[in-house]
Amino acid sequence: MTESLRRHAPLLLSLAAGTALWEIAGRRASAAFLVPLSETLVRLWEIAASGQLWEQFVSSAALFLTGFALALAIGMPLGMLLARMRVLRVALEPYIMILYATPMVALIPFILSLMGFGFAPKALVVFLFAVFPVLYNTIEGARSIKPELIEVARSFRSSEWKLWCDVMVPYTLPFAMTGVRQAIGRGLVGMVAAEFFLSATGLGQLIMTAGQNFDTGGVFAAILVIGLIGVGLMRVGLMLEQRFARWRD
Amino acid sequence: MASLDASLAKPIAKEAPRRRALGVSGVFLPRLLAGLAIVLVWEASVRAFLPAYVAKPSTVLLAIPKTVVDAAFLAATADTLGAVAQGLGIAVVIGTLVGLVIGRSPTADRMLRHYVNGFYAVPMIVILPLLSLWFGYTSATRLATIVYAAIFSIVVNVSDGARAVPREYMEVARSFRAQRLRGLFEIVLPAATPYFLAGIRLAAGRALIGAVVAEFFTAIGGLGYFILFMSRTFRHDEAFVGVALLAAFGVGVDVFVAWCTRRFLPWYRRDERSA
Repeated sequence: MTESLRRHAPLLLSLAAGTALWEIAGRRASAAFLVPLSETLVRLWEIAASGQLWEQFVSSAALFLTGFALALAIGMPLGMLLARMRVLRVALEPYIMILYATPMVALIPFILSLMGFGFAPKALVVFLFAVFPVLYNTIEGARSIKPELIEVARSFRSSEWKLWCDVMVPYTLPFAMTGVRQAIGRGLVGMVAAEFFLSATGLGQLIMTAGQNFDTGGVFAAILVIGLIGVGLMRVGLMLEQRFARWRD
Repeated sequence: MASLDASLAKPIAKEAPRRRALGVSGVFLPRLLAGLAIVLVWEASVRAFLPAYVAKPSTVLLAIPKTVVDAAFLAATADTLGAVAQGLGIAVVIGTLVGLVIGRSPTADRMLRHYVNGFYAVPMIVILPLLSLWFGYTSATRLATIVYAAIFSIVVNVSDGARAVPREYMEVARSFRAQRLRGLFEIVLPAATPYFLAGIRLAAGRALIGAVVAEFFTAIGGLGYFILFMSRTFRHDEAFVGVALLAAFGVGVDVFVAWCTRRFLPWYRRDERSA
């Protein structure tokens, strides 16, 4: 008991210190700059009670999940296919690497002028942010499959379908999960970017309108919500990665 | 000794024929063909389905000579890349110091880890409205966004690296009565260099995104704003030259860091993209 107290004391102390710091700084600073934690929570409660928070959350979640699911559905099979077809992989690798390193935000103005303000262009933005980490890591995993594994499967006259089910997919999954974790983080940035720069909807809109109204409490409340979602999803990503990491090596 | 040599030679002998089978033409030709195919499909589909102002390879190529000597484009490029360099510099200095402390002090680790992980997980773009309330629609907002975007990946990576320093190194340092601070900068920091480089690589990519996003948001000029303005006024080709430059910068950092790792830390192998 005392041992666990000693272990967790620094954490509890630092959380208390952080909370106190925010509260005190918020009370001393001008309300336009910083709002104390207590007021932020009150503002958050108001937004939640009005039903606005839930509505915007659902809208954002639909956007994120659509883009993210597309990224998984295309990135993972394509990555494995490229790993299986050597020539194609060698041919496309440099272009995938370039796209992986390109800041996708820079494409938003093009998407805006080509596709307008609807749901589809925004889902496309989330997809573009999320797909390349998945694709890149899946290829990376699939290319590291030991040729012996495939040779053994072949010598036992395994069919292509069986080979995928029993060798390719299980071997690649842990690597793909690293990509999935990265894609979660990037997809969230893409979601907010789409909501900021295409049409204002969802949690992005919540922040934008609060900022435009100089409602600093509202800005903090919305950032707190998105921050918590980010932390929670990151946890999920890490758990997924660790869950599958046991297969690796 | 002989058995050691044999075991060393084995994987190399196995690797060699596969490498040779690929060869230069085996890699180069498919890549060239794929590149041509991408360009052709892009060109054809834009011509067939999309309005004339949309960027396509032929017109982008024609726009390059005009754009790269354009004073506004050059000023915007210098503006953005200068801000990215400055922000990265700040993030590297502060991030490395904080990372070293977190990595080497269990108390600091327990106190700060949750904040670092928390801020790292917050999508950097959401703090833009807040930063623009604080700093106004000025280049200070952009700089702050870049620092925020970059710093946490450096802290996380440097602290991972500092934690992974072999215990023996520190014990040797202590037996020679090295001061703690010297141990930190002369043993821990060099030992953590591969992690540090991996952190820089991530940080540079994020810093670039931060700069572009801040320019979209505050419209203060720079390459991101150049892209936004050009595409709004239906000059997609010029805008695309800006995108290509950003991509080149992103790839350039990746290649440079990978080269540094291979050149200066040849003993080191790790999945550099893990964070």
